[in-house]
This record gives sequence, C-alpha cells and structure tokens, in this order.
Amino acid sequence: MKINCTLISVVDDDESVRESLPDLIREFGFTARAFPSAEEFLASDCVVKTKCLILDIEMPGMSGPDLQRELARRRQETPIIFITAHSSEAIRPHLLKGGAVECLIKPFSDTALLVAINAALRAK
Amino acid sequence: MESELSRLVDALPGLVWTALPDGNIDFFNQRWCEYTGLSLDDSIGSGWEASIHPEDLSELLECRRFTLDSGEPREIEARLRRFDGEYRWFFFRSSPLTDTDRRVVRWCGIITDIDRQMRAAEEGSGHWWRSRAARENHFRSIVDRLPAFVTLMNPNGEAVLANRQVLEYFGATLDEVKGWENGSTIHPDDRPGAIAAWQRSVETGESFGFEGRHRRADGVYRWFQMRGFPLRDSEGRIVLWYLLQTDVENHKRTEEALRASEQNLRQIIDSIPGLVCTMSPAGAIEHQNQQVLDYFGRTAEELRDWAFTDAVHPDDLQRVIEVLTKSITTGTLYDIEHRCRRADGVYRWFQVRALPVRDTDNRVTGWYVLLIDIDDRKRAEEALRASERNLTQIINTIPTLAWSARPDGSAEFFNQHYVDYLGLSQEQAQEWGWTTAVHPDDLNSLAGAWQHIRASEEPGESEARLRRFDGEYRWFLFRANPLRDESGKIVKWYGTNTDIDDRKRAEEELRRSEARKTAILDSALDCIVTIDHEGHITEFNPAAERTFGYCRDEAVGKRLADVIIPPSLREGHRQGFTRYLATGEARVLGKRVELTAARADGSEFPVELAISRIPLEGPPSFTGYLRDITERRLAEEELRRSEAFLAEGQRLSRTGSFSWRVATEEITWSEQVYSIFELEPDLPVTLGLLGSRVHPEDIPLLCDMVERAKAGKDFEYEHRLLLPENRIKYLHLVGHGTRNKLGELEYIGAVQDVTERRLSEEALGKVRSELAHVARVTSLGALTASIAHEVNQPLSGIVTNASTCLRMLAADPPNIDGARETARRTIRDGNRASEVITRLRALFSKEDITTERVDLNEATREVIALSLGELQGTRVMLRSELANGLPPVAGDRVQLQQVILNLLRNALDAMSAVEDRPRQLVIRTEQDEGDLVRLTMQDTGVGLDSQNLERLFDAFYTTKSSGMGMGLSVCRSIIERHRGRLWAAPNDGPGATFSFSIPHGFEGAMGTHNLGAIREPAVTDAAKVMRKS
Repeated sequence: MKINCTLISVVDDDESVRESLPDLIREFGFTARAFPSAEEFLASDCVVKTKCLILDIEMPGMSGPDLQRELARRRQETPIIFITAHSSEAIRPHLLKGGAVECLIKPFSDTALLVAINAALRAK
Repeated sequence: MESELSRLVDALPGLVWTALPDGNIDFFNQRWCEYTGLSLDDSIGSGWEASIHPEDLSELLECRRFTLDSGEPREIEARLRRFDGEYRWFFFRSSPLTDTDRRVVRWCGIITDIDRQMRAAEEGSGHWWRSRAARENHFRSIVDRLPAFVTLMNPNGEAVLANRQVLEYFGATLDEVKGWENGSTIHPDDRPGAIAAWQRSVETGESFGFEGRHRRADGVYRWFQMRGFPLRDSEGRIVLWYLLQTDVENHKRTEEALRASEQNLRQIIDSIPGLVCTMSPAGAIEHQNQQVLDYFGRTAEELRDWAFTDAVHPDDLQRVIEVLTKSITTGTLYDIEHRCRRADGVYRWFQVRALPVRDTDNRVTGWYVLLIDIDDRKRAEEALRASERNLTQIINTIPTLAWSARPDGSAEFFNQHYVDYLGLSQEQAQEWGWTTAVHPDDLNSLAGAWQHIRASEEPGESEARLRRFDGEYRWFLFRANPLRDESGKIVKWYGTNTDIDDRKRAEEELRRSEARKTAILDSALDCIVTIDHEGHITEFNPAAERTFGYCRDEAVGKRLADVIIPPSLREGHRQGFTRYLATGEARVLGKRVELTAARADGSEFPVELAISRIPLEGPPSFTGYLRDITERRLAEEELRRSEAFLAEGQRLSRTGSFSWRVATEEITWSEQVYSIFELEPDLPVTLGLLGSRVHPEDIPLLCDMVERAKAGKDFEYEHRLLLPENRIKYLHLVGHGTRNKLGELEYIGAVQDVTERRLSEEALGKVRSELAHVARVTSLGALTASIAHEVNQPLSGIVTNASTCLRMLAADPPNIDGARETARRTIRDGNRASEVITRLRALFSKEDITTERVDLNEATREVIALSLGELQGTRVMLRSELANGLPPVAGDRVQLQQVILNLLRNALDAMSAVEDRPRQLVIRTEQDEGDLVRLTMQDTGVGLDSQNLERLFDAFYTTKSSGMGMGLSVCRSIIERHRGRLWAAPNDGPGATFSFSIPHGFEGAMGTHNLGAIREPAVTDAAKVMRKS
C-alpha cells in the first residue's frame, strides 16, 4: 500500500464512525485523523494540514455547517464532504452552495466515499 | 336808752305808771313803789287799787273806765295810801300813746302829790295860791321841769306860753315862738295831718292828739306825741289849750324797732315750718303761731279751751299720754312722734318736742311746744322703705349680676343673682373673694382693667369669664360706674356683670364663620367678584386676581365693565346693567353664560359667568362667579375630536357600542351596530328587532344572555346573525353591567363583527387538522427517520467496516489483523442494529422488559454525564438532589435511562427560549411512600398548559415544531411496564415538573408476566404503520 501524506480529517460525534472511517480512508492510502467535535478539530493542529474534511452535519455544539462557515471565515478552503444519517434533500443545495464537495448519506459505500474524496482533492 | 328812760321815769317828781291798752297797768315807777310800799308785782294788774282810799276808789275807777272807753284822758284827785298807811291827796292824770292808726297802744299816767295844796286849800285858800304870778311861777317851774314840752296856746293856735324844753328844743325865744305860724315846725309830711287834727279839736273842743315830727333847732326832725287839752272857763268856753308834747323819737324808734322785731319775730314764728305754741300745764294752747291756727282750724280762743290730746290719733294716744305724763312728772323735755288730726280730719305725723317752762320754784308752768309736720317725711320714709324693698327686689330680680365696691376696689355688695351664680355667700364673695371665680386666663387682664378704671375715675368696662356654681365658665361684661359725693370724691363703685357668653360664642362663631367665609372666598378656584348697584367692584377674590391679573386694590372701586370686559363688549354690558336697574329685567341673572373676558394685559379669553343678586335689603348688589374655560374649551374640542376618532375607529374595527337599560328595555346603538346589523340607523332598537336578525339556532343564546343580564351579571357571547340572502355574520358581544346615577341596572357593551376572523379561524382549524394529520404523518416520518437514524448508525458502521475489510484483504499483503478488526466491528455493529430493532419492537409490544437491579441514582448520573455538553451549551444550571440510600429498583436500566434522557431533553427544549429568568433544572430522586422510588425533573421553561396535561402523553402530541411527539408516550409506556406512573404538572412559578415513580421491589418482577401496559390506540397505530411499511 502506498502511503500518502494527504491528511483527511473526520469530524463526527458518532463513535462507530470514528472507529471505522479512518481505517477505510487509510486503506484508500490517505492519512486519516478523527475528531469527536468541530471544536476539537479547530483546536487541533490539523486545520491547515487537512486536505479534505469529512464532516458530520448534526453534531452537538458546533454543527457541520457551522464549521464550514467558520473555516470559510478563516479562509481555510478545505474541501468538505458532509456525511449525515438524515436525509439531506433539503439542505444539500445549501451545503453545496456553501462550498461542500459532496453530501453522503449513511450508510454509504466505500466507493462513493472514494469518489467524493478524489473529487475533493482534485477540486483543490 | 331804756335804763336812762327808766331812770328818768324814776326821777320824775311823780308816781308814773303805764298800762296796756285795756287799762291793765303793768308798770309803776320806783317812786310809786317807794311811796305805796308795794312791789311791782303786787301793784300791776289791779293790785294798785288796794292803795286807793276806799272812798275815792269807785270814782277813780269810773274815771279810769271813762278814760279807757273814750280814749280821752280824765283827771281826778284821789287819796293814795302811803307805805306807812297814811293817805295823801294825789292828782291822777293819764295820757294815751297811740300808733299811726290812732289806736291806743299804751296808757301812761302821772300821779302827783297835791296833798299839801289840798290841805292848804282846806285850811284856807291862801298859801298855795298866794299870787297868780307865784302860782304861775310855781306852775311854770313845774312845767319847766316836766320832761315834756308844754305849750299854752290860745284858741287861734298861737303860742302863749312855752316851757323851757320847748324853747330849748326849738332854739328860740318865747317871742319868736309866739310869732311862729301854727304847725310851722312840724315836718311837712306830718303838717297837713297835724293841722287837720288841730282844726278838728278846735272845732269840736275835744282834746287833740297827734304824732308828728318837729324840727329841732339844728334842723333834725324828731317824733313827738302831741296832746292838747282845752282849758275851759266857767262857761265852758275854751280859753286856752294846753299842749303837751313828748319827745317820743327814741320811743318811736324803739317802738318801731320793737314793732319791727315783733313783726320779725312773728314772721319768724309764723314761718317756722312747724307749729309752735305754748301750752298750759293742763295742755291748753295759750299762745300759738299761725300754723297752729291753720292746722287745727280754730281760733286762738277755741284752742285755749281745747284739750290738745283730742287731736292725737287714737292709736298713738296711749303712747303720747305715757310720754307726756312721764315728762310732766320728771319735768324733762319730751320728744315724740305721733299723728295729729288736721282741721279737715286727716291725720298727719308730727314730731312733737316740748320744753317745759319752770318758775322760780322749778315748777312746770307751761310748755314751749314745737310740732313739726313729719308726715311727708314719714310717708317718704315709708315710701323709701317700700322703695328700698322694691329696689332690693328689683336689684335681685334684674337679670344681671349687680354689685357695689368700695373705692379701693374691694367688693361690698352682691345682688341675689350674683350670689346665686357664684354659688358663694355674700361673706365669701366680699372683699376679694369673688376673684376666685374669675377664669385664671382672664384674671390678670380683668384685675388690670379694674385698676385702670378706678384710677381713671371714669365709668369703664371689661370682659372676663366667670365660673358658675356648677363649674362652667361663661363670658361676662363687667361694667362699673362711680358714685361721687358733693365734693366730687368717689365714695363707691356700682357695677353690673352682663352674661355675654352667648354673644361671645356667637361672636366667636361669627368670627370663625367670617374666617371660613373669607377662607372659602380666598381659596375658591372660581373668581368671585361682587359689584354694587352702580356696577363698581366691591370685592375681588384671590382667584380673580390671578385670573385677570389685577390685584384687589386695583380692581375695587372700578367699574366691572372696565376691568374684565373687553372694550368691544363694554357697551353691551353697560346697557344690560342699566336696563336691569331700570326695569328689573335681567337677561343674565341666574344663568350661566359664556363670554369673552379680558385680562390686565389685554389678552382675551373665554369665561363662563354666572351672576346672582345678593338677597339683602337696600340697593341691589351682585355676585359674579367666573371661570376661565379656556381649558374646558380645549377639552371640549379634544372630546369632539376623540369622539370622531372613536366613530371612525368603530367603523374601521367593525365594532359598535350599545347601552341597554334592562328594566325599561331601552337599547341604544352606535352607528356601527346598525351597520353591522344592516339596519337603518336611528331605528328604535328592541329585543324583537334583535331577534329578527339573530340566527334562529342562536336564539336560545340570546335568551340566555337576556336572563343573565337581568340577573346583573356581565356577559360575553358569540352568536351568528342571519342576514338577507342567507348570509351569516359572526358577532362577538361583551356587556358589562353598571348602575347609572338613578341606581338602575344598565349594560354598556360592544359588538364586534368577527365574521372574517371566525372564517379564518375555521379555515385555520381545517388547516390545523390537516396539519395535525400531516404532522402525524410527519411524526411517523420523524419516527421513521429516528428509527432509521438509530439503525443507520450501526449499518453505516457495518458498511464502512466491511468495505474496509475487503480493501484490507485485497491489499498486498493482505492486512489480516486489520481485516479481523473490521470484521469484528462489523459484527458488533450488526448486533447493535439488531439490538435497536429489538428495542423498538419491545417498545411497541407487550414484551417484558429486561429486569435487573437498577440504581436509579447511578443511572441518572450517567444520563447527566452524557448530557453535560448540552447542559453547558444551553446555559442550564443543573442541580441534582439524589437521595442517599435510595433502594434499587427492578427494571430495564437502558429504558429507564431513555426516559430520564427524554425528560431531560424536553426540559432543555422548554427552557431554550427563556431569556428573562435563569434556566434551572432540578433532578431529584427520593423514596416515595408505598415502596416507591420517585424521580422528578423540574425546569423553569415555558411551562405547561394545564388543560393539555393529559394530552402531553398522547403519541404524536407535540408542542415542538420539530418534535416527533414520540417521547412522552414512549416514556409513559416504559414506566408503566415497570408498574410505575409518569405524570407532569405545571410549577407554581415558571416551568413544569415531570415525575415518575416506580416500585422498587423485586417481588413479582422476576417473572415475565406483564402487569399491564395500557394499550394506547396511537401505539397500535404506529405498530400497524410499521408493519405495513
């Protein structure tokens, strides 16, 4: 497996997601970090390093879209892939307009995720 | 003079006697007494007769009688016994003394001793008459010695002879005297009378008697008594006249003096204001003055024989006699008062004083009596006494307190009223005792005033309060008047104290009422101005000063018109006033009129004026009340405007107002109500009219409303109107009952056309129910979403992990460990998913709960720990009061935690919008009675509507816009499966409290039997729905 230094951060309050998704991402060949909340992500040193952000929408405290706005405010143009357990039909357009690359509904296939990641990295 | 005369008389060579006009001889000279040897007393009266020779006595007496009767003296010789008893011849001659009226007042006589001559004549007629010349000489010497003027005149009146006295007196020689005309020496005033008397005598031959004045040699006139005796010859012809003239000047004077003095005395006696008399010892009145005669109405003679005691009043007689007797016996003066009867029979009081007259032996020979008519005095005394009694009565009756005081101010006398008033005795009040009754506050000023009055010696007055016998103080006016004696010195003060208490109180009342009146006038908000009949201002109160800008002194006296009425209107006012005074017709009196007035600065403003006539006698005066109505005008304007607004507002809001007088069924509508009812405005409104428009189905409502109204309760109704063309209007009606000023029940209310609102409400209602339906559907959606979410998590994990696993296995070399891990996770997640399903099924089925020993406190703490982030994020202050020693409960830990979490989440949601108070959450666990354990969750959120408390636990009931309405129904079923109870209640303050209690015992929970979850229809529906999908 090739080791890629591209850091992809996962921000999700769901433990199982933080458990499973980074492994998958590593299998893709990326480096992955997981954060239980947007605040912790912001507090970390990965904000700038993160090349792609996989972001849960509904989180207590700062939500996904909140983090998106925050990053935009910081002019941190990190591509964001939203993931959500809820139907995103209503907010999908907003999120995409806000600069999100994709919005995936759980459960999503690994393929869908990879496509989204690639799209995100390419867009960058 | 008298002694000289008597010496003279005693010296005369003859025995001289005088007698009273009645012949009673009351005087003999000394020679007589020496010759006869008789004393004067023995001689007078008729005592001398004893000395006359008995043989001669009768002739002598006869001669005397003749003389007395005729007034013409006769001479006679008679023998007079000498002291030794021897008789000698004497020549008795007498002559009368007359007064100016020719009445005899006295006789006088000379008795000359002619014994020798007589004897000589008896012996022979020789010795004595030797010669005519000798005889003449002898005679002449006698004549010359006589202390009288002797003149011999021939019948023609010429003097033939005159004795020496004559010649000496006239200072002339005989020859000169002879040559005088008859009567030439007589005083001119007396001459005519003398001459006439002489003529008469000459003619008649009677003796001549006259008193007249002769001029002496030195020219002085002296009175003489002239007596002329004719000497007749044997044929009876008068040959000579003997003229004897005695100088009676002194006598005359004395006589006159005596007469005058007698007259004086008489007058005095007669003018003594009293009856003066002398009384004999027997009581006969001997001498008296005129008053006596007048009083008793008797003559002197009658009185003499009259017993005086006859005139004494019978009642006094006894007393009088006693006193008289005593006086007589003791010989002392008596002094007695008794009544004497007057000539007319009337008795009068006299004071009778009598002085006894004693003789030399001290025997009482008579009384000098003085009677003083004291009748008037007595009556006066009686009257005085009566009047004094009267006066005392008056003094004691007059309704004032009367008193007298000494000049030093100390009180002497108090009338009965005074004494009664004070309740003191005379003795207690006298001197200064009365001052104890004076009010302490007034004492000093009264004392000072009294002192001042006394010092000024003028009448004065002062006011003070005097204590009555019962202790009450009353105001009195003290008045004092001085009484002076003849020298003007003040001897006494008299005073009266008049009760002025009522007046004082009235004065006080008046003062207070005056002050009140003035205060009222001064504090009145209205301007009060009074004017006299000429329209001049007499009063101008402070409010008027403020309103018009004049001070009182400026305004008083000026014409009202000139002060407050604008120039343009003055004429009109003046005319009106003049007309009133002339005709009595008043257009303005007694009414309120609005007019324009002017202030001092000229600005004009509207006023309301009311003028009334002051109802007193005399020329008319008027009171005007003025009020500045500028503000009122503005307010009126405001009101008009606001009424217009109201009408507009009513129109815009489609609300009308009405009033309904229940008793009389009078209903008044505003214009808008008519418009709402689509009736002609101004139609009289009756309940019948109402009924005609009200929707038939709502008529009962109307009747009910009327009933309610009659009972006086407020009402609020909504009912429909049925209008032409079957249109319906919805009305909202409110009525509020009041009592109007007559006490009648009157409703004031509003009617609003709420048709549009109602319609929209109905529409809304429909939409709501649709929405509710949708919501229900949406909840299911939400439920599904929730379930999906719950399942999604593990599914997502599974997919991810599985994908990862594949990739790991596909790697070169394959990551076996990683794959194993992911596979493991996959299984786990699968299990989790299954668990969720199981749980869900359990939720919606009757399956037993998993029973274990649950420490509720521990479970609660875990839930709290899980939610800390949320609590902090939503700024909620959490307080947990978890009871110690809480017994464990038998139950499904997870489910119970779900309930707790749900309740917590609900509480947070309820407080999410609260800003004005702290968001506080209290979680409490405690042991409940009956083996129960209770958990309560209390928040300070929006609270609960108590009407919807039960509906809370309905499935799909939610007040949250994004809620799914699952929570509480699920919670309840969980708790009920634990054989517990879940309920909610609003707090006393803000927020709500949710509580559940479950039995803690393990008995009966070990089994699998379900003690009955209550089947809820909604749950069944959900299950059905789930099965379907």
